[in-house]
Amino acid sequence: MTNSAIATDALSKSYGSTLALDALSLEVATGEIFGLLGHNGAGKTTTVNLLTTLLAPSRGTAEVAGHSVTAAATEVRRAIGYLPENVQFYDTLTLMENLRFFAQLSGLHRPDQRIRDVLRILDFEGRDRQKLGTFSKGMRQRVGIAQAILHSPSVLFLDEPTSGLDPEGVRTLRETIVRLNTEFGMTIFMNTHLLSEVTKTCTSIAILRGGKLVHQDTLANTLADFPGEDSLEEIYFRLESEPVS
Amino acid sequence: MNTFVVSARHEMLSTRRARTAHLLLIVFIGMVIASSVIGWVTNQTVTGVYEKVVADGLTTAPNPFTGVTPLYYARNAVIYVLLIGSLMAIVLGVQATLRDRKAATTDLVLSRPVGSATRLLGQLAGLGVVLAAVIGISFSVSWVIISVINGAPLGWADTGRVIAFGLLSWVLLSTFTLLGMLTGLRSKRETTALLVPFVIWSAIAFVLPQIGTAARPVSLLNPVPAVSSTGGYFDVVAAITGPFSVTEQFKRASSIVLQDPAVTGDATSSVLILLAFLAVMTVVVAVTPRNRMRSGLNE
Repeated sequence: MTNSAIATDALSKSYGSTLALDALSLEVATGEIFGLLGHNGAGKTTTVNLLTTLLAPSRGTAEVAGHSVTAAATEVRRAIGYLPENVQFYDTLTLMENLRFFAQLSGLHRPDQRIRDVLRILDFEGRDRQKLGTFSKGMRQRVGIAQAILHSPSVLFLDEPTSGLDPEGVRTLRETIVRLNTEFGMTIFMNTHLLSEVTKTCTSIAILRGGKLVHQDTLANTLADFPGEDSLEEIYFRLESEPVS
Repeated sequence: MNTFVVSARHEMLSTRRARTAHLLLIVFIGMVIASSVIGWVTNQTVTGVYEKVVADGLTTAPNPFTGVTPLYYARNAVIYVLLIGSLMAIVLGVQATLRDRKAATTDLVLSRPVGSATRLLGQLAGLGVVLAAVIGISFSVSWVIISVINGAPLGWADTGRVIAFGLLSWVLLSTFTLLGMLTGLRSKRETTALLVPFVIWSAIAFVLPQIGTAARPVSLLNPVPAVSSTGGYFDVVAAITGPFSVTEQFKRASSIVLQDPAVTGDATSSVLILLAFLAVMTVVVAVTPRNRMRSGLNE
């Protein structure tokens, strides 16, 4: 057991002969907004899938909220919220019916009042009888956040949360993420391509390249450690171009 | 509320909102009711002609419907359960498991504290309730129609036989629902997920029962009834293939339950075979790995 919200040790995942994640060891402190960066295929989604117990690791260990992802997968699932990339719902069901299903799966017995509270937090009141099939991409993303936080998880995993959103949607989502972290104390782990969002949102970052961890530190230290670079984007491309040890 | 019940209730709600499911359920209920109505119309027509013939003094034979058991009117329903009911059950099963794969909602579901077997068995339970409701509605209406034809409510014994027929129908349809769920989980395309169980159903319903007969070519080719050969290779083939034709077992058990004089014997072996298939299919679906549930479609 560790005091970190997330801790991995030599976590690896292979798909056949392809090594998608190579001995990842990282630590995310409780209360952080953590950004995992990397090109497509770097292993970001595999990492999230391992930490949310959707995949079993090939080697290594990982703990989320103090529980092993292999030995105590059910406990991990109780402690986390998860927003997958391009989140989808049951389009023939209403917003309330969708959220009620996920809330009850998470163990909430009479979830309607909690759902209304969460919809209020996300400025989504008055739409609970609307079918999800009529919702825009941005609205679905917010519903995705809603389903992820219904059971008040201590750790929230967001996989490319701003993917496909317009600038307004990106801003709304960013404000929501920061609010969940500051007001509700959730540790947030997110994969993203948008470096500008990372700069505005994250407190610490890690960079994956070809399944290997090439950098991990707080955002402030990262920016300070590369005085020659103007922005996180410059640092990111520099780290991405350096040979992997 | 545990995750099994949550999954079952969600499945019932989703099926209630699916238009294809609505259509199939309405057709099934309509056909089962129609089977009783057809029996009633047949009775009325034949009795009308019979009374005219008797009035003309052309016959002294008894009315062919005299002495017919009231359950005679429910026998047509066996074939509708077998044909329309099985197809409906397959579609319901395929839709249940394909829904999550098509909408990519499996990851959301499996990131909650729910086991894959609990999720799938919960879905099966939900569909089981839907099937029970459909069978209950259609057979209740049949009961009323038969009582009207009969001029009095069916007695307890006959009502019990109708209920037993309903239970047999539920077991058969649940087995085909599981077949649909299985192909919905295993197929890479939606069309394959539907086609494969239909082919399997066709083989079970039409091909397997023919193998025993086809093994005696004389009886197929010669219009004169063949001399029944007993023992030997042909009977071995029929003995092996017979139990695998669950539809034939259902027909046999249902006919015995509904007192069809053409089928005699004990229904126990047929009922046990039906239950064995249901149990095997339940286990096969329940052990589906999480990775298989998460796999997307190639379309």
